[in-house]
Amino acid sequence: MARLGLPALRRSTPVRLAAFLVALFACVSLLSFGVTYLVIRNRLETGMRADLEQTMAGFSAAPSASALAALIANQGAVTDPSQRILTYLAPNGQVFGNVALSRGPEGFLYIDLGPNPTGARRDYLGLAGNFFGGQLIVAANRAPVTALAATFLDVLLASLLPTIVIAIGGGLYLARRSRARVDRIVATLDRLSSGDLTARVVPMPGAHDLAAIGEGVNRLAVRQEAATEALRQVSADIAHDLKTPIQRLAVQLDRLAAAEGMPETGAALAAEAREEAARIVGTFQSLLQIAQIEGGSPKARFVPVDLAEVARTFAEIYEPAADDAGQSLTLHLPGGPVTVQGDRSLLGQALANLIENALRHTPPGSRIAVTLHGGAQPVLEVADTGPGIPADERQNVLRRLYRLERSRTTPGSGLGLALVAAIADLHGAALTLDDAAPGLVVRLAFGRPDGAP
Amino acid sequence: MRILVVEDDRTTADYIADGLRREGHAVDALAQGRDALVRATTEDYDVLVVDRMLPGLDGLSLVKALRAARVATPVLFLTSLGGVDDRIEGLNAGGDDYLVKPFAFGELSARVAALARRPRMQEAVTELVAGDLRMDLLARRVTRAGQEIDLLPREFALLEQLLRRKGRVLTRTMLLESVWDIRFDPQTNVVETHVSRLRAKIDKPFETELIKTVRGAGYRIEG
Repeated sequence: MARLGLPALRRSTPVRLAAFLVALFACVSLLSFGVTYLVIRNRLETGMRADLEQTMAGFSAAPSASALAALIANQGAVTDPSQRILTYLAPNGQVFGNVALSRGPEGFLYIDLGPNPTGARRDYLGLAGNFFGGQLIVAANRAPVTALAATFLDVLLASLLPTIVIAIGGGLYLARRSRARVDRIVATLDRLSSGDLTARVVPMPGAHDLAAIGEGVNRLAVRQEAATEALRQVSADIAHDLKTPIQRLAVQLDRLAAAEGMPETGAALAAEAREEAARIVGTFQSLLQIAQIEGGSPKARFVPVDLAEVARTFAEIYEPAADDAGQSLTLHLPGGPVTVQGDRSLLGQALANLIENALRHTPPGSRIAVTLHGGAQPVLEVADTGPGIPADERQNVLRRLYRLERSRTTPGSGLGLALVAAIADLHGAALTLDDAAPGLVVRLAFGRPDGAP
Repeated sequence: MRILVVEDDRTTADYIADGLRREGHAVDALAQGRDALVRATTEDYDVLVVDRMLPGLDGLSLVKALRAARVATPVLFLTSLGGVDDRIEGLNAGGDDYLVKPFAFGELSARVAALARRPRMQEAVTELVAGDLRMDLLARRVTRAGQEIDLLPREFALLEQLLRRKGRVLTRTMLLESVWDIRFDPQTNVVETHVSRLRAKIDKPFETELIKTVRGAGYRIEG
C-alpha cells in the first residue's frame, strides 16, 4: 500500500469527499439538534410560566394583605427554596416567605441567587404581581431547562463524535486504497510513456471505476504495442525491400567498373553512380532512424551518459577535419562530468551532426565552438561564426528534408537537424537555434523535469 | 578459409561468394536458414556470413540455434536495418560483427578476415612492431628507427589498432568503432584526416611508408 503524506491526503478525492460529508452531516445534525432543543426548552418554559401564573392566581384569592402574608409565610415554611420561591413584600416593607427578595417591576423575571453551598446553581424563573400595595413573587427553579441543555449536549456528542470518527476513518481507508490503485495506474502510464510498451495495469477486482480506467489503459497499451510492432515490421520490410535492390545495384556497378575493356570514363561514371546509390541509402537510413527514434522504443535503453566525455570525443574527432578546412574547432567544458540519462550513441550522433553542419556551412577562417554548461539543467551548444540562418528560416530547418536555398549545392540530405530534433525530443531536451551575432548557435538544453517531450 | 554464406538474394550471395573465392577462400552459399543450420552444425567453417532476413528460419534464430548447439564459429550478420536496437539484438543472439546493407565488398572482406583471425584470447603483448617502428604499450612510447615519436592519445590508439592487425585491412568504419566507439557513418572524412595526421608523424619523416591505403577498403600497416 502506498504511503500517504498529508499533502497527498489533501489532494485525495475520497478524503476530500469524506471531509465534506462529515462537515455537511455535522452541520445538519447541529441544526436539527439546535431546533429541537429550542422547541423543547420553549415548551418547558411555557409550562413553567403557566404553572407560576396558576400559583399566583391561587394566592391572589386571599382577601387581604395580612391574609396573603400569613398564607405565604405558612406555605414558604414548608417549601424548599431551592425548588420554589414564595415571597410576599408587604406594603410596610416586611418580607414574608422562604427567600428574601427585593421589589421590582411586575411580570416575569429571571432570578439568580448564585450557587448554593453544595455548588448547585440557583437559577429561577419568577413572576411578580402587586397585591394589596405589596408585591407577591413566585418563582421555580430552572434546573429542568438547564439540565435539558446539558442532556442535549451529551446526546449530541455521543451521536456526532462516533459518526465523525467513522466517516474520517472510512474516508482515509478508502483514500489509501484508491490511492494505491491510482498509483498503480500512474506507474503503468509512466512506464508506457518512457517506452516500455509491455507495461500493464494489474487487474483490480472490486474497484469498478478504477478497474475500468486500468482496463482502458491496458487496451491502449495493447494497441500502442501492436502499432509500434507494426511500424517496426513495416520499417524492416521497407528496409529489406529497398536495400536488397540497392545492394544489387551497387554490386552491378562494381562489376561494371571492373569489367574488362571498360574505358576509364565509364569506370568513373560507374563509381559516381555508386556514390549516388550510397547517398540514397544515407537519406533512407536517416529517415528510418528518425522514425525509429520517434517510435520511442530506444528510451527503454537509457543509461547515465557523461556529456563532457561525448563533447570531448567528438571535438577531438572533428578537430583535424576543421583544421584541414581552414576552420578552428574549440571545446569549452565545465570542471567535472555532466551526466544525463540517455543513449550515448544517439547523443554522439546529434553532436556530430551539429558539428558537421557547422563545418559544412561556414567558410574557411570560421570559428566553431563546442560548449557544455553543467548544472542541474545542462546545455550543450555548438556556435559558429558563419553566415547563420535568417530568423524566419530557423524553424523550417528543423523540418525533414528542408534545405536553405543557398545550401542546395552543398552535400547533405537535409535530415541532419531533423534527426537532432528527434534525438533531443527523445531525451526531453529543448533544441533551439539562435543568432550568435555573427553566426549560428544551436543549443540542446537538457533537464526538463519530467523528461517528456 | 572455409566460409558459409547464408543469403537469400541471389545477386548479393553470388557477389559475396565470387569476391571471397577470388581472394582464395572456399565458399559455400545457401539461401535457407534451415539448410544453413544443418550445414553449419555438421561441417567446420571458419566464418559464417548470415543475412538477418531469411525465408523460413530467420538469421537471428539460426545463430541462436547454432550457439545453443555449441557451434562457436564467428558470425558476421548482414542487415538491412542498422538501428542500434537491431545491432544489439544481433550481438545478443550470438553474432560477432554486423554489416549494414548496402556494403562495399572491401568492407565485408576486411570484417570477415578480422573475425576469422580474431585471437581466441587476447595475448598479453607489451610491444607491437612493424618494420623499424616499435610501440611500447606499457610506457606508451613509439619509436621509429630509434627516433622517439610524440603522439596524441587518439593517434596512439589509432596506430595501436593498425599494429594489432598488422598486414590486414582495417576499414574506416572498423576504425571508427574500435578507436572512437562510433557506430554511425559521419559525412565528413574524419578517419582520413586522423590517418593523415598520423602519417605526418610516423611516415613523412622516414623513407618507407608503413600505413598503406587500400582503395575502396581502408588502411593496412605493413611490416
